[in-house]
Amino acid sequence: MFDAVVNNLPFLMGGFWVTVKLMFFALAGGIPLGILVGLGRISRKRWVYYPVTLYVNVIRNIPLILVIFWFYFVMPIIIGRPLDPFPSAVISFIIFEATYFGEIIRAGYQSVSKGQIEAGYSTGLTYIQTTRYILVPIALRRMLPSMITQSIVTYQDTCLAFVIGLPEFIRRARIVDTLEVRSIQLFGFVAIVFLITCYIGSVMSRRFEVKEQEGG
Amino acid sequence: MTEEGISPLPYLFWEIMLGLAYEFDWGVLWRNPYGMYLLQGIWVTIKLGLIGWAIALSLGVLIGTMRISPWRWLRFLGTAYVELFRNIPFMVQLFFWYYAGPMLFGASLQKSINSIIGLNYYVAIIALGMYTASRVAEHTRAGFSSISRDHYQAALSTGLTHPQMYRYVIIPYALRIIIPPLTTEFLTIFKNSSIAMTIGVLETTFMSYKIDSETFHGLESTTGACLIYLALGLAVVRLMGMLESRLKIPGMIGR
Amino acid sequence: MIQIKNVSKWFGDFQVLRDINEQVKEGQTVVVCGPSGSGKSTLLRCINGLEPFQKGEITVDGVSVGDRATNLYKLRTEIGMVFQRFELYPHMTALQNITLAPMKVRNRPKKKAQDHAMRLLERVGIPEKANEYPANLSGGQQQRVAIARSLAMEPKIMMFDEPTSALDPEMIKEVLEVMIDLAKGGMTMIVVTHEMGFAREVADEIIFMDEGTIIERGTDINFFQNPKSPRTKDFLDKILI
Repeated sequence: MFDAVVNNLPFLMGGFWVTVKLMFFALAGGIPLGILVGLGRISRKRWVYYPVTLYVNVIRNIPLILVIFWFYFVMPIIIGRPLDPFPSAVISFIIFEATYFGEIIRAGYQSVSKGQIEAGYSTGLTYIQTTRYILVPIALRRMLPSMITQSIVTYQDTCLAFVIGLPEFIRRARIVDTLEVRSIQLFGFVAIVFLITCYIGSVMSRRFEVKEQEGG
Repeated sequence: MTEEGISPLPYLFWEIMLGLAYEFDWGVLWRNPYGMYLLQGIWVTIKLGLIGWAIALSLGVLIGTMRISPWRWLRFLGTAYVELFRNIPFMVQLFFWYYAGPMLFGASLQKSINSIIGLNYYVAIIALGMYTASRVAEHTRAGFSSISRDHYQAALSTGLTHPQMYRYVIIPYALRIIIPPLTTEFLTIFKNSSIAMTIGVLETTFMSYKIDSETFHGLESTTGACLIYLALGLAVVRLMGMLESRLKIPGMIGR
Repeated sequence: MIQIKNVSKWFGDFQVLRDINEQVKEGQTVVVCGPSGSGKSTLLRCINGLEPFQKGEITVDGVSVGDRATNLYKLRTEIGMVFQRFELYPHMTALQNITLAPMKVRNRPKKKAQDHAMRLLERVGIPEKANEYPANLSGGQQQRVAIARSLAMEPKIMMFDEPTSALDPEMIKEVLEVMIDLAKGGMTMIVVTHEMGFAREVADEIIFMDEGTIIERGTDINFFQNPKSPRTKDFLDKILI
């Protein structure tokens, strides 16, 4: 029954591997950038706050597909030659997801009580040290469930790199589909893989939520 | 206390822009026929968003209510729906319904379905509605859960029946609680409508792509599309803000 | 009026009420006290059918609460309940809070319901707040509206679940005064509270509950001065300064 899938499994799973790689790079860049974006959003320095806020509010109102396209067209102009889909996609994702992670982490920063920061300063730590050793770790730990959820969203969003031809999971399923027209099997397979992986991810996220409440 | 400072970013930006060997042609945004493309695209995006939202709201509130109902099988159905539509990426759902969907109806119906003109448009609306409904259901459920058990009991203790309690006490209260998250979902549905371009629906993003393929000025066309989505977003926030203030309960914690 | 016989209740594996027996006669005021988790609030909710119970019988004015055939909605029109956090409907004014049930359950015409509601607001001392939303009322005022809301259905019995526990100290008195007034007027009342001053003034019987059972009963004076059980003594020591 699932012969189209089984016959093309290596090809399809190669696409899944590309998907996972894209997610990995997106997170590896998006989360650190998000930490900085979050800091920028709570900054009292006007020259930091306004540009960062503008960046976040613009990107969050634009569909990811459009951001992917935009970079695909902009990058060649800036660096003078066309870019491969994968690096282009990675950059788009990092810039996009950083805004979402940034807002989540910002909420984490704001949940850290002023008293804890003041305690840090009063023992002589500098801004960078207080931020690095107190603010960020506490915020990240608190927002872990939300960050897992957003990572799952990033994972799902990788499909959109389809539009610049990146040979990821669903693109490959579509390629096989045009040849063999076993759409139900192929897209059903893709759906099931996502269903299982995302469900496991959300269960994990819920477990961390409980742990967080218990450990506090 | 603010520290004044001059941001170096605008200078960097203009230096890059002026030093490029690219000739900007912003005329692609309004010149014939490209301006028309874009306008058609905007209209399709609006239709996708509004009709999809209508489906999402009605279906979503229903499913959210199912999830807190006292009947176990209703709760199970609601949870199954939400988990199914939430864990599969929207694009995968779209592809499934568009490519695999007609096949589910058997060989004879399949041919007639596939010959419907504008099939991709109808499939996109329905898929968008069903996907967003799962998210609306979650917000509805969260709204109901955030109302304390004592509140339900207080209403019942005055002799109200369950339907009366839901109608006069719980639902008016829950509705106001979920307006902020619903605003976010309303915004999201317009953004997700852009994904319909992958099955060829002629909406805004697709049109900006089409303009690029005809003029090679994709930078301008996609920037134009970005501005359109930004404007749509502002309009939605405005609209929902007006709704929120009309329904405002004095003293309720809003934003 | 209320008869509770051998009532036991479990939440899953946890037994929250153990073989409770109690009788409340018409016109009596019974005060229930005890540490948190002792089952007092749960007992109240069993009486008006908001919580089911697995063993035993509760009869209210001849009606068996546990019987499947009993119309619980009708039962609840005869029993008023006041909650710790007032639970006023935030999207309705004080007046609307009070008139909702009489209009929708007893089908009273709007004018009659409003007139009755205004009289009740006068009785609890805040007629001028009729058109205010709960958010604009102090805690004490909200609780008094909540009492008026329960009285609007003209119940035979009033139950109070820690009515003053969520109030700032300066507002406790105004609510207790309304409750004392009700008790002296002959209302059958069950009050879960730690306000021993209230108990001393109007209680016909005081019950001390702990871990799901009634440890001790007393009538006023000897309850406070000579508690029999060491657990009661322990509890009283903690709450009476």
